[in-house]
Amino acid sequence: MRAEASRATLLSLIGVAALAAGGAFLGSYAVYLASLAMINVISAVGLNLLTGNSGQISLCHSSFMAIGAYASTLLTVNFGVPFWLAIPLGGAVAVAIGALLGAPASRLQGIYLALATLGFLQIVQIVIEELASVTGGVRGLIVPKPAFAGARVSEYGRYLIVLGACALAVWSARNLMRSRVGRELDAVRLSRPAAQALGVAVGRVKLTAFALSAAYAGVAGGLLAIVVGFIDPVEFGVSAALRQITFIVVGGMGSVAGSVVGAAVLSALPEALRPVKEYSDLIYTLILLGFLIFLPRGLVTLWHAGARRSRARTFAAAGEGTP
Amino acid sequence: MTGERLRIERMSVRFGGVAAVRELSLSIAPGEIRGLIGPNGAGKTTVINAITGEVPMTQGRVLLDGDVVSGLPAHVVSRRGIGRTFQHVEPFGELSVLDNVLLGVGRHAPVPLFHAAFATPLARRGEASAVREALGLLERFDLVPYRDTPAAELPFGVLKRMDLARALAARPTILLMDEPTSGMSESEADRAVAAARALAESQNVTLLVIEHNMRVMMRLAHSVTVMQNGAVIAEGAPSVIQRDPAVIEAYLGEEAADAVR
Repeated sequence: MRAEASRATLLSLIGVAALAAGGAFLGSYAVYLASLAMINVISAVGLNLLTGNSGQISLCHSSFMAIGAYASTLLTVNFGVPFWLAIPLGGAVAVAIGALLGAPASRLQGIYLALATLGFLQIVQIVIEELASVTGGVRGLIVPKPAFAGARVSEYGRYLIVLGACALAVWSARNLMRSRVGRELDAVRLSRPAAQALGVAVGRVKLTAFALSAAYAGVAGGLLAIVVGFIDPVEFGVSAALRQITFIVVGGMGSVAGSVVGAAVLSALPEALRPVKEYSDLIYTLILLGFLIFLPRGLVTLWHAGARRSRARTFAAAGEGTP
Repeated sequence: MTGERLRIERMSVRFGGVAAVRELSLSIAPGEIRGLIGPNGAGKTTVINAITGEVPMTQGRVLLDGDVVSGLPAHVVSRRGIGRTFQHVEPFGELSVLDNVLLGVGRHAPVPLFHAAFATPLARRGEASAVREALGLLERFDLVPYRDTPAAELPFGVLKRMDLARALAARPTILLMDEPTSGMSESEADRAVAAARALAESQNVTLLVIEHNMRVMMRLAHSVTVMQNGAVIAEGAPSVIQRDPAVIEAYLGEEAADAVR
C-alpha cells in the first residue's frame, strides 16, 4: 500500500518533469494547445469535486472561469497587480462568489439546481455585456502580456506556469479526496441521512464543494487569460459549461484521474474537429450521451476493471480468494 | 444531571393528515437497554427519526442529559451524542468499509481544508490517528477482511456490523438501533445481541432498540416500551410485557404462540 503510493508519487513527478522538458522541444502552437489542455484539466478537477463527488450538477462552471479571468485581468490592468498575484486573487474572487451562489444552491437538487446554475450563467454573461466600460463587453478584453521582475514571460514560461498550476491542482484534489473533506463530499452524495447521523453538516459540505470548485475554475480562468492574451466572453457560455461536464463524464465522475483523462483526451478533440467546426457542439453532446449510456462511470472504469482482473489473477496464483 | 439520559415529552409527529406518533413520552436511564416494539406502522422508526432531527416533530420536546435537542439540525443532534443505525443500513455504497467507518471517526479532530488540500503534517497526523481508531473498530466487529471492499458489495449481515461500527465511531452516549438483527440468521442475531450488550456495559452506551424478533428482545432489553398506532400502550420488564394481554392482542397476534413459548 505504502510502496504503491510512493511509486505513484514518483511516476507523477517523472510525468511532470517529462512534460516540463518536453515543452521546450514543442512548437509554439503545440505548447499553446498543451497549455489549454492543462487549463481544462484544472477546471475539470474542480467541477468533478462538485458534481462527481458532492453530487451537485452545475451548468455554470464556465462562469467561474470567467470570473477568475476578468478579476485577475482587471486587477492587472487597473491596479498593476502582477499576474502571479492576480491569478490567485482571481481565484479568491471566484471562491467568494461561489460561496454566495452555493448558499442558496446547496438547498436545491437535480433539475432545480441545474436551472439555478444555468440562471447564474446567464446573469454573469449579462453583467459582462452590460458593464462594457469595465469588461469590454461583447468585444472582449485584451490581457497584458505577463511579466516577471520587469521581463516578459516567454511562451514556454507560461507553459511551465500552467503546468505547475495543473500539477498543484491535481495533487491538492487527490489529497482532499483522501482526507475527511473528500469523504464528506462523497458521503453527502451517497446517503444524506447516514451522513447527518454521523454528524456531517450536509449544507456546509455542499457549500464548501461550490467554493472549492470555484477556486479551481477561477485559477483556470486567470491562466486562460494570460495564455490566450484575450478574453472573449463567448468562451464562457453554455457550450463551455456543457463541454466541462463532458470532460468529467468521459473521464469518470468522482475521480481525480477521471478529470485529468477526460479533459486531456477531449481537449485534443477541437483540433480533430477543425474541418467540421460548426458541428462541434453536436459532437460533444453525442459523446456525452454515448458515455452516459454505455460507460456512465467514464474511461477510468476501464482501468479499474483491468486492475481488478489482474488483482484477481494475483490472488488466484497465490492460492487465495478475494474477500 | 437528572438521572435520565434521554427524555421524550409528548412527542407528536404528523405527516399531512396522518398522525404517526401521538403524544409519546419516554424516559431512558443512563446505561439502560430499552426495547421499542410494536406492529408494523406503529411509528417506531418515526420516533427514532424525530429524535435524531431527521423528521420534524409537530409537538413535544426531546432532552439529552437534561438539554433540549429537539429542533436542532440532525448533524448537531448527532454531535451532541445521539447516534443511530438504520434498518436498511444506508451504506455509502461506493466507499470502502474503512472509509464508511472513518466518516464516523474523524469529526473529533477535524482537519482544516487548507491542511487537507496540501497534506500538511497536521493533516497526515490527523488522518493516521483516525485510521488507527477506525481499524480498531473494524477488528472489533470482524470487518478487517472487508477493509477495502466497497460497502455495496457486502452481504447484509456484514453490512449490519459495519453500520454498528460506523455509528460507534462517532462515540455516541446513546445509540438508537433500528432493527439491528433484521436480515440476520439466528446465530448472527445471537452474536449481535451479545455485542450490543457488551457495548452497553463496557462503554456505558445507552441503547434504544427497535426489534421485531421477540426472542432477541427478551434477552437484550432491561425494559420494553410497546407502541401501537403511534402511542405507548404498555411499558415494563420484558417478562411482564410478554404476558400482558393487551400487548399480546395488539402486537404479538399470530406471533404470540411463538413468543410465549
